[in-house]
Amino acid sequence: MAKSGDGIHILQGLLVFGNVVIGMCGIALTAECIFFVSDPHGLYPLLEATENDDIYAAAWIGIFVGFALFALSILGIFGVIKSNKTLLLVYVILMLITYAFEMASCITAATHRDFLTPNLFLKQMLERYQKSETVNNNDKWMTEGVTKTWDKLMLQNKCCGVHGPSDWQMYMSAFRTTHSDADFPWPHNCCVMDARGSPVNLDGCKLGVPGYYNSNGCYDTISGPMNTQAWGVAWFGFAILCWTFCVLLGTMFYWSKIEY
Amino acid sequence: PHSRPRHPGARTMLPLLLLLLATAHGLDKLQYVPTLASPSLGGLMTTSTFVLEQPRCVFTEAQGDAVIWLVVAVPEAIANFNNSVGPGTPERAFQSFPTRAPAYMTLNTTLLNYPCPKPPGELTVLRVGSETRCARDETRPTCNGPLPSPGPYRVKFLALEGSKPVAETAWSEPITLRTAQPPGSILAMGSGRSAGMIALTSILSILFAILLAGLVAMLVFWGSDACGGSSTFNKPEAVTVQRYNTHHVYDQTAARL
Repeated sequence: MAKSGDGIHILQGLLVFGNVVIGMCGIALTAECIFFVSDPHGLYPLLEATENDDIYAAAWIGIFVGFALFALSILGIFGVIKSNKTLLLVYVILMLITYAFEMASCITAATHRDFLTPNLFLKQMLERYQKSETVNNNDKWMTEGVTKTWDKLMLQNKCCGVHGPSDWQMYMSAFRTTHSDADFPWPHNCCVMDARGSPVNLDGCKLGVPGYYNSNGCYDTISGPMNTQAWGVAWFGFAILCWTFCVLLGTMFYWSKIEY
Repeated sequence: PHSRPRHPGARTMLPLLLLLLATAHGLDKLQYVPTLASPSLGGLMTTSTFVLEQPRCVFTEAQGDAVIWLVVAVPEAIANFNNSVGPGTPERAFQSFPTRAPAYMTLNTTLLNYPCPKPPGELTVLRVGSETRCARDETRPTCNGPLPSPGPYRVKFLALEGSKPVAETAWSEPITLRTAQPPGSILAMGSGRSAGMIALTSILSILFAILLAGLVAMLVFWGSDACGGSSTFNKPEAVTVQRYNTHHVYDQTAARL
């Protein structure tokens, strides 16, 4: 049965190769999710204040799933080479559990990305930025997070508001209750700053003279990294799962062909 | 006695006399209409301030020593507006506007601050409502304080020499300021499910279901230990069967000899 033996050897080789790829992708997934969880753009406080930070939960799950995939791929390679039915059965069951977790992570990331719209951040900014009377500790924590994040965003990215400085004029806000409209048509962080961090021309900024204030909105700098994170977790995870599906089907077929 | 013949232009004499009277009082009615500044300014109109163009090349040397005031009024006060009421009186105090005083006067300056001609490329504007410190200070009735409500308002420039009005511009068009909406009116609901997310969810669910079915099949086969088939293979044996002679066979042949 040389021909059948060759076929089985080819299947063995393919399964080993498939598991090697799964192992490497597992490490890549872990690295990617650690990068996202470390929040390089400092946008986590905004998500935390929406009380819906599930794309971060998806990234956390991704870290552990990546490790699990790596470990299980080694088990799989070992089981295929040894042609051990028990080992391969354990491998398949554990892989399916990992598969379920990774599926949850992908779907969560994709679903909650749809939740993050400009209006969500606009409402949050108007209600929380520089809010002076906070109800409890949780409220205080979220308000401070939002205020610091927006101050940093407006300074570093030279932008103002979500759609533009007109956000501060079109809507009432917590900021407006403590800062009068005549002195602060928009926060002073919207002004063009000099090297020492004070406005180049405060009157020009208040008048809205182009060149002395930032007239573009910050939404792109918020949604860009968040989209990258959500799509990165969701679609890379989807790709890994498709590949894992093929490897698992192959493993099940191989398992059924082993005879004690 | 003969009656004096009536002068042919008797009817035109009266308005002419009145005009002479007006100019004798010295009030120049200028054609200039105060306008808002250029729309390229982001802060042209806020909820309590607005920005006007400065009246450059409007007042001439005839009003050389005059102090030019900005008058801000509610539209109902225009019809009976009295130019002789001076700034700083309770009738023209900013702090009483608009309830007890239908108009107020502010932003006083001399003609020197409005030089003519206007230098090209320079921003020549007046921001009405920029002084917040004196808004509640009754001792500063000519404060340029923030406007209390969205309006509408009408403005004009009035030149006073001492306490005598010498020139005035026309009234501006009604200026209505912005009104701010409460943030609760913003709809922050999600935009619905995107196509990508639906595709991802459905494909992954189908794949997972197939895998679960495969696992169930595996467990069934494991339990029943069946389905060999001709294409099964033996895993390479760790131990090979060797033929060996037992001492029993040797004893037998030895016994025969």
